[in-house]
Amino acid sequence: MRGPTVTDDAAIGYYGVPPVKASPFDWKIAAYVQIGGVAGAAQVLSAVAAAAGGRRARGVVRHGRWMALAGAVLGPPFLIADLKTPTRWYNMLRIARPTSPMSVGSYILTGFGAFSALAALPAGRLSDAAQVPAALLGAGMATYTASLLSATSSPFWAEAPRSLAVQFACSSVAGAAAALSLAEQAAGRPGTAATLDAITAAAAAGELAASIASGHDHKEPAVAGALALGVAVPLACHAANRLSRRPSRTLSVIGALAALAGGALLRHAVIQAGNRSTERPRDTFRLTRPPEPARLPPRR
Amino acid sequence: MTALIPDESALTAGTTVRPGRRYGFFTDTTLCIGCKACEVACKEWNALPADIPGLTGMSYDNTVDLSADTWRHVLFVEKIAPQAGGERVTTMPPFQSNWLMMSDVCKHCSPAPCLEACPTGSLFRTEFDTVVVQQDICNGCGYCVPACPFGVVDLNLSDGKAHKCTLCYDRLKGGLEPACAKSCPTDSIQFGEIDDLTERARGRVEELRGLGRDDAYLYGAPGTPGATGGIERLNAFFLLTDRPEVYNLPEHPTRPAERFAPGMAAGLAAVAGLTLAAALLFGRNGGGDGGRP
Ligand code: SF4
Ligand code: SF4
Repeated sequence: MRGPTVTDDAAIGYYGVPPVKASPFDWKIAAYVQIGGVAGAAQVLSAVAAAAGGRRARGVVRHGRWMALAGAVLGPPFLIADLKTPTRWYNMLRIARPTSPMSVGSYILTGFGAFSALAALPAGRLSDAAQVPAALLGAGMATYTASLLSATSSPFWAEAPRSLAVQFACSSVAGAAAALSLAEQAAGRPGTAATLDAITAAAAAGELAASIASGHDHKEPAVAGALALGVAVPLACHAANRLSRRPSRTLSVIGALAALAGGALLRHAVIQAGNRSTERPRDTFRLTRPPEPARLPPRR
Repeated sequence: MTALIPDESALTAGTTVRPGRRYGFFTDTTLCIGCKACEVACKEWNALPADIPGLTGMSYDNTVDLSADTWRHVLFVEKIAPQAGGERVTTMPPFQSNWLMMSDVCKHCSPAPCLEACPTGSLFRTEFDTVVVQQDICNGCGYCVPACPFGVVDLNLSDGKAHKCTLCYDRLKGGLEPACAKSCPTDSIQFGEIDDLTERARGRVEELRGLGRDDAYLYGAPGTPGATGGIERLNAFFLLTDRPEVYNLPEHPTRPAERFAPGMAAGLAAVAGLTLAAALLFGRNGGGDGGRP
């Protein structure tokens, strides 16, 4: 007699009942991941501009600090709204648990918000000093949300922890450079905007490489669509601007908007794909296949 | 809290409950008759409402799954149905008439992925080495739900908190055996100290193999399937006679927390690389007329 095996599609599992449960995370978490990631990366880019950009990058430094603070203020309400008992949001800081990305993330967010508030003070020694820790925590903001998703048992997130983190990190940097580029264009500084567009393009290329490396063998159309918008459009716009003798402001703006929208869509699509992947027993059992043939007793 | 009979568990389960020792369940699925007494006892003691009032068509299983309101779930694996490849089973081994029944429950893992994920400390390890949600602390973030490799803990949206089996924490404090184990008429669910249970379970596997059931094995005891990927043991472990997936159990669950550091390292490395690229671009263009000939 044959029992079901991992390769027998129809017979696997128990009446198709999901062996793991889906997270309750919805668009509010996706919104936070995008806002927090872009804010964190904006602080990083602002710090880079302060260190390496010289006088002409001062606008970028200032705008980056403001964006970081704005994200640190606007993001958390989405997190709190997603709690099922929101009045107890402060319990997030009740303990510190290094094994929990959500606990670690709560402290990253708190520290990032505090230092970003100081860094947004009028230019001076205090704000410059505060920007260093703010930018380091900002790098964490750009990344930790992906690790938070991967440190679960949802197959879509759990099977690619590294590439998911690189995708989120790159998408955050692309989004921040795009937002800063829009601000530079608005201020009539196309030169710095072009530098920022190049950073967006570099980050988009990284995102693309990571998504190819992730090797998700079930196709998620929404994730692919988000990549097309957030990666292909900015890359194409940037390439066109590099090749033409007169870089177009419109192309720069379109590329930046696409990077931001694509980033938001990517977060939402990845969260939905992870939740949905729990409903496919085959994906869970593929994730939990033993690394070497198991020593189960003989089948009768 | 004092029980009516001091150390009642000594009478019903042959073990006394003392803080500082490790307790759990050994569920021997070869003894399960699918009576669902455990489900009823659990619902009664913990005052849990019914999930599904109708019939599901999933064999005799109208419970379907563990949930915020269902902490014991008896599976009915009907092995007489057509198997993969269109083959119909025509012979039945003389044991359990080709039915597999199993009373599923929270595994009280050690280490416990749900506990490791919980940011509020609501999920904690008790003095009996069990894993319990503190309802007065949980803020309903829901992170424990996808963290659990066995799909056990769940949110109840009507009170906004996570719920799961407490291994009858209140009863243990009063010296009582957990309700499900006490109610089990065949002793398929056995409650006791982990070391005693493991020894008993290993003996049972030997006994079954001696009877010709060479497919009997333990799931969740140290060194067996289920206790894998950084999870050292399941304090509620099982004796199974078919592949874990047949019981909807993962063969090689992993500790999700182990994916945290590799992800962070890769993501931070990407940010560092892009920071360097940005520094070069800003430096070369002086933040000025980059991209312009
Ligand atoms: S089975 Fe799930 S809910 Fe129970 S202790 Fe393990 S991780 Fe937690
Ligand atoms: S839902 Fe409650 S028990 Fe679960 S991780 Fe969040 S705070 Fe902890």
